[in-house]
Amino acid sequence: MLEAIELKKSYGSHEALKGLNLRVGAGDIYCLLGANGAGKTTTINLFLNFVTPTSGEARVNGIDANADPLQTKRYLAYIPEQVMLYGNLSGLENLEYFARLGGHDGYSADDYRGFLQRVGLQEDAAARRVKTYSKGMRQKVGVAIALAKQARALLLDEPTSGLDPKASNEFSELLLQLKGEGAAILMATHDLFRAKETGTRIGIMRSGRLVQELSTDEVSHADLERIYLEHMR
Amino acid sequence: MYRLIVSHETRLLARTGALWAILLLLVFAIGFAALAGGRSVTRQAKGAADAAAFEDGVRARMQADTEAYAARLAASGGTYEFATVDHVPGRGPPQGTNAGVVGAETAAYVVLPPTGLAALSIGQSDIQLRYLPASMGTTLDMVKNLEIENPVNLRTGPFDIAFVVIFLLPIFILALTYDLLSSEKERGTLAMILAHPVSLRELLASKIVARASVMLAVVMGLGLLALLGVGTQLDQVETWLRFGLWLLATLLYSLFWFLLAVLVNVHGRSSATNGIMLAGTWLILVVIVPTLVSLLATTLYPAPSRMDLIVAAREAQTAGEKGMGDALDRFYAEHLDQLPAGDQRAMDFLTLSQANAASIEKALLPLYQQFREQALHQEALVQRFQYLSPAIMMQLALNEASGTSTARYQDFLDQAYRFRGEWNDYFASRFLARSPLRPEDYDRFPRFEYVPEPAAAVMARLAGPLAGLLLLCIGMALLPLRQLRRYQVAAR
Ligand SMILES: Nc1ncnc2c1ncn2[C@@H]1O[C@H](COP(=O)(O)OP(=O)(O)OP(=O)(O)O)[C@@H](O)[C@H]1O
Ligand SMILES: [Mg+2]
Repeated sequence: MLEAIELKKSYGSHEALKGLNLRVGAGDIYCLLGANGAGKTTTINLFLNFVTPTSGEARVNGIDANADPLQTKRYLAYIPEQVMLYGNLSGLENLEYFARLGGHDGYSADDYRGFLQRVGLQEDAAARRVKTYSKGMRQKVGVAIALAKQARALLLDEPTSGLDPKASNEFSELLLQLKGEGAAILMATHDLFRAKETGTRIGIMRSGRLVQELSTDEVSHADLERIYLEHMR
Repeated sequence: MYRLIVSHETRLLARTGALWAILLLLVFAIGFAALAGGRSVTRQAKGAADAAAFEDGVRARMQADTEAYAARLAASGGTYEFATVDHVPGRGPPQGTNAGVVGAETAAYVVLPPTGLAALSIGQSDIQLRYLPASMGTTLDMVKNLEIENPVNLRTGPFDIAFVVIFLLPIFILALTYDLLSSEKERGTLAMILAHPVSLRELLASKIVARASVMLAVVMGLGLLALLGVGTQLDQVETWLRFGLWLLATLLYSLFWFLLAVLVNVHGRSSATNGIMLAGTWLILVVIVPTLVSLLATTLYPAPSRMDLIVAAREAQTAGEKGMGDALDRFYAEHLDQLPAGDQRAMDFLTLSQANAASIEKALLPLYQQFREQALHQEALVQRFQYLSPAIMMQLALNEASGTSTARYQDFLDQAYRFRGEWNDYFASRFLARSPLRPEDYDRFPRFEYVPEPAAAVMARLAGPLAGLLLLCIGMALLPLRQLRRYQVAAR
């Protein structure tokens, strides 16, 4: 579903990505680990066509994101570290707008309420203006947008950083549900524990390269941490 | 997709105070400007009507005198004679029989009729006197109240609707658009939107359409209300054609400012930077460039001063009087009314003073010509430099559409001078022939009939500014396209 082929990105003389290859299939939760500046966000932005690759391709459903971004974005949902919404609109109104931007016009008001219920946003909050929301609530709306969009691939950039453990746990539950529905999920994170718990595969990045890939069922929490730290040395 | 974003943007705008504050200000500004414009037009119309009524009254009394005189003669017998200078009322022929007196002491007012839109753009009309007295004597008497030294004044003084549109509307537009993209980027919603199948171009266009349709609907609606409220001649096609051109110019001018905001926004700088750049551009285009062009016009082509005109008139007069014989003659030349009745000299002096006025007029002719030429030069220079600033183009277009342009006024002045000549010839020829004015002559005095300029002439003058604004808008729409492809979506 998501596929990076010899993906390179330079900012001026600085090479942020030095030939990345990775695949995330349907039903995969691929966790990208790596130090600050390793190139995780750059990778995600390339799939979103927010930045133009220097060479190589970021493919979504077999289509080059740089060649036909309007097409690839039909399949994608994006949840950044901070889901930013329109403060003067309610959660429901935000959801409706983004769902329709994604090309889904057919939902009823009940459907929208249903999505917000499913991600665990309280009824009364849904009708409130978003400027009164906590970060956790906004991340939930972000997931609801992905649900409404029926996205086949999710790009998550540290979506749980700063969430309390319970909210973080709820978020992971939602990811597992989406995975169950056959979504391909690529998530950049610094949370080794969650990566091991929810992820199916893990990729460790360093200075723009993928230095190791492993399956989460191959390693224990302790092993993962040891391997990660070894690469960071 | 466009529709969705446009309605979303409209909803967001409706929920922010800024739009409402701006619309309220606009309503007040246009309301006040319309009232001021309406008042200025009524004041000029009333001034013209009062002045004309006064002169007509004087002539009506003279006509009545000649009628009474004719009736008296019919009863008593005798010939209808020409009055010399009469200061004994009731005896002999009344002054009204003397063409020199009637032509010199009463005036016919020449009036430039306002267009139906005059109240929308007072423009130069505060310095353009729209009714002038035509009488014998010299053209100097006609234009002495006229502001002839600065026929080109781009710094719109009056608070009229044109001022609101040219000065304030851009500020309102920029207040709504200076952070068109930068605010989305700073808020973080830009990445959220662009993760959906929407192009940046689509997004920008929709955002502009949402704002432009609200602003333009309001401005045009208010313009229409103003026209209905303080406009005149609403039953004439010409008024509505002019209003159509007025709207077209307003549309293009507004579009320019919207597109300018787009152009600044596609470079991805912060809202604060965008705001400062746009405010600076406004200052340059709306204030500084028009002032400089105006200054350039009056510096390169200064009109002769009013003083020159007066001095020249005096010199001509003195020269004329020198040819007039002895001191007594000279005294009576200045105090014609104190000549004893029936004195032959009265006749001679009236003739002499007529000749005198003619020679003064002749001496002044080159000066008038110079005024006219300098005014045309100034106008031509402004026409040429208008393309430096949409505000100048807009001012020219609005003045032209409202019939307050310098060119229309110059044409009126030409007609006015011509009429004064006609008036002078009519009375002078009768006076010099000593042919008495009869009551029925009063109905045959020359009348000023304003000849409207041909529509083609007006359109030709409008073509420059309108085409300039249109091309500017097209250029401004194309300019951001390349930069847009390089736009950095991800915040750093
Ligand atoms: N717009 C840009 N201009 C210049 N350099 C950039 C730009 N974006 C990213 N970089 C550089 O590219 C490298 C990779 O950055 P990236 O944001 O992908 O890292 P990351 O893995 O997401 O880090 P973090 O864990 O801090 O989020 C960094 O060295 C960064 O400084
Ligand atoms: Mg990052």
